[in-house]
Amino acid sequence: MPEYVETRPVNFSELSAVAGSAPAVAENVTYDRILRAREEPHNWLTYYGAYDGQRYSPLDQINADNIRRLVPAWVFQFGAAGLHAGPSTYAFEAAPIVVDGVMYVSGWDGWVWALNARNGETLWVYKHAVPFDTSLCCGNVNRGVAVANGKVFVVTLNAHLLALDATTGKAVWDSTYGDVRAGESATVAPLVVKNLVIVGSSGGEFGVRGHLDAFDMDTGERAWRLYTVPKPGEPGADTWPAEGEAWARGGGNTWVTSSFDPETNLLYVGTGNPGPDFDGEIRPGDNLYTDSVIAVDVDSGQLRWHYQCTPHDLWDYDSTMECILFDQGDQKLLAHFDKNGYCFILDRTNGQLVRVFPFGERITWGEITADGKVTPKIYPEKEGDPVHFWPGPAGAKEWTHASYSPRTELFYVPVQDVGAEVTRRRRQFKESIPYWGASVVVDAADMAGFLKAFDAQGNEAWRWEASWPLSASTLVTGGDVVFVGEPAGEFNAFHARTGEQLWRFQTGSGHHSSPTTYSVDGRQFVAVPVGWGAWVEGFAPGMLGGQHGDALFAFALPEE
Amino acid sequence: MTSAADERSVALSELGLDKQNKASLGRLLATGNLAYAEEGPDGRMRGRVRIPPDELAWDPSILVMPHGGDLELEIINDDTNTHCAHLPSNGDNKWMWLPVYSRGEVTLNLDGPGYYWFSSNIGNDEGRGLIGALVVLGDAPEEARLDRPEQPRP
Repeated sequence: MPEYVETRPVNFSELSAVAGSAPAVAENVTYDRILRAREEPHNWLTYYGAYDGQRYSPLDQINADNIRRLVPAWVFQFGAAGLHAGPSTYAFEAAPIVVDGVMYVSGWDGWVWALNARNGETLWVYKHAVPFDTSLCCGNVNRGVAVANGKVFVVTLNAHLLALDATTGKAVWDSTYGDVRAGESATVAPLVVKNLVIVGSSGGEFGVRGHLDAFDMDTGERAWRLYTVPKPGEPGADTWPAEGEAWARGGGNTWVTSSFDPETNLLYVGTGNPGPDFDGEIRPGDNLYTDSVIAVDVDSGQLRWHYQCTPHDLWDYDSTMECILFDQGDQKLLAHFDKNGYCFILDRTNGQLVRVFPFGERITWGEITADGKVTPKIYPEKEGDPVHFWPGPAGAKEWTHASYSPRTELFYVPVQDVGAEVTRRRRQFKESIPYWGASVVVDAADMAGFLKAFDAQGNEAWRWEASWPLSASTLVTGGDVVFVGEPAGEFNAFHARTGEQLWRFQTGSGHHSSPTTYSVDGRQFVAVPVGWGAWVEGFAPGMLGGQHGDALFAFALPEE
Repeated sequence: MTSAADERSVALSELGLDKQNKASLGRLLATGNLAYAEEGPDGRMRGRVRIPPDELAWDPSILVMPHGGDLELEIINDDTNTHCAHLPSNGDNKWMWLPVYSRGEVTLNLDGPGYYWFSSNIGNDEGRGLIGALVVLGDAPEEARLDRPEQPRP
């Protein structure tokens, strides 16, 4: 027997062109800078671009007059090595963050990258090892990172919150905030406010109890946790059955990033569906605070007010999606485009309804009157009896975000028009097993998508009809251009005032992400991750066979 | 026809699904042996996997860790072909060559609970059988669990 050859391990990323470090640009990203993020439009400092959730950038180098010359400046691709969780459902969903020429972006399965935002060079890589068997309702996804005080914050599918050194990508601290054996996971892009990192939980299809958590940015110690379903005896508990443990499995997860108003000191948070999704007989009552917009004191984690968009939900109509903060005269308002097909305009100081109007295309599940009264019409009621309704459980708009331009005073909304047949099928609750209470088949034909522009009164300014449901976030800029991607791979630009289609580019894979814009040395870029996947059988089953991919395109005007 | 779990390995062997180029072209995944990592007094875990000659399988192909943490893993290639090891670990995947008759040690950090795949990611070693599993037992830490009564599990 010959002597063994001794061999030594290396980090896998060392066998690549990865530089290994990034400039220390994140050292000076403070709460104060994020508060005034729009004053440095060359950067995209936080998930929505600013705390107000508008997804608006004042950058105007790329504008309605010259956008026809827009071309790819660089492309980042990654791919997979070995097996990973959800190999058929991974998607590239993030909103790239950019700080002074460095882009920080997360991918599927625990990947985080720092890139040179000018040319796409990979500066560092972090990989979290994600169990192959993690419970994931909707695919192997992550919606992005937060950057502050020299750190990059990201959650992992197995419900850890990590702080990475922004120059090296090495882990600084790691706090577990969810129980994977209960079916919890994490996909949200964190939000940094003051010295806190705010994150929410995923797992609403597994009968968990939703929560929002805040961690100390420096130490990783948890500062507070707010459960979105009250325990017996707490305010709101009377909206759940007094007997039994429906509340303990009640859902209300917070898997989309909050917006924040420093004047009210409130986080505006959307909460998810109740559990079980479709079997309401298990949980008579309104089921607070599911399917709600909740306002949370950022310092204490205390609930200040709530507005429930779909009381006693029987359609899987999460309200997790964005709350866009805007002012009209003296009114401090909030716009929330809900899965149920209605837009809610709320007074963000007290949660009072100012206006509600439909933005979805076909809405048959029920009706909401102008004063906010909800009347269900079609819903799964009797065991084994199928019902068909629009919009289906992915909603008239999924989690992907609308945007708002203070220049045009219009909201730009990606709309899905997809119905579904749902048959109530009771099932016994067991931890980590899907807890829907129904058989669900989403329509794979007779579907459509729209980009719609509304003013705050609910007047539709214009619309563009797509071939497929629109399942990607919009971005609007000071150049009066609205961007949105399609499931078949096209990335489109429209005139923000007229809806005229100005430009399109085929990226090769469907869009289910949030494009952002930034500039480096005076050159404006528009960055968009593409990589079709996630809960496609829910929001566009007619595209379940669409091309997968995992690229990030950065577009710019040609250099002179 | 179905077989009971305790008959499965016999049936796989009779068919030749646990060998190269017999029933199928390669060896069916996860048909190899199972072993436990040993935990030292310092809480670190230690284990060993090897590639036996001409089997294109990790032995054991399933290594069980009692909880999350650091695993010191010795890897031996007793095969007369060159392979490699591509392994999950928090921070970055670990990788090492496994030339003919080689050995090496690698430290992995895994959270768990759950299981992770490792492989030899050259040629089609993965499809032929060189994919193994690292299984981490245990629960999420107490502070991460939900505030609710104990719930039924499957």
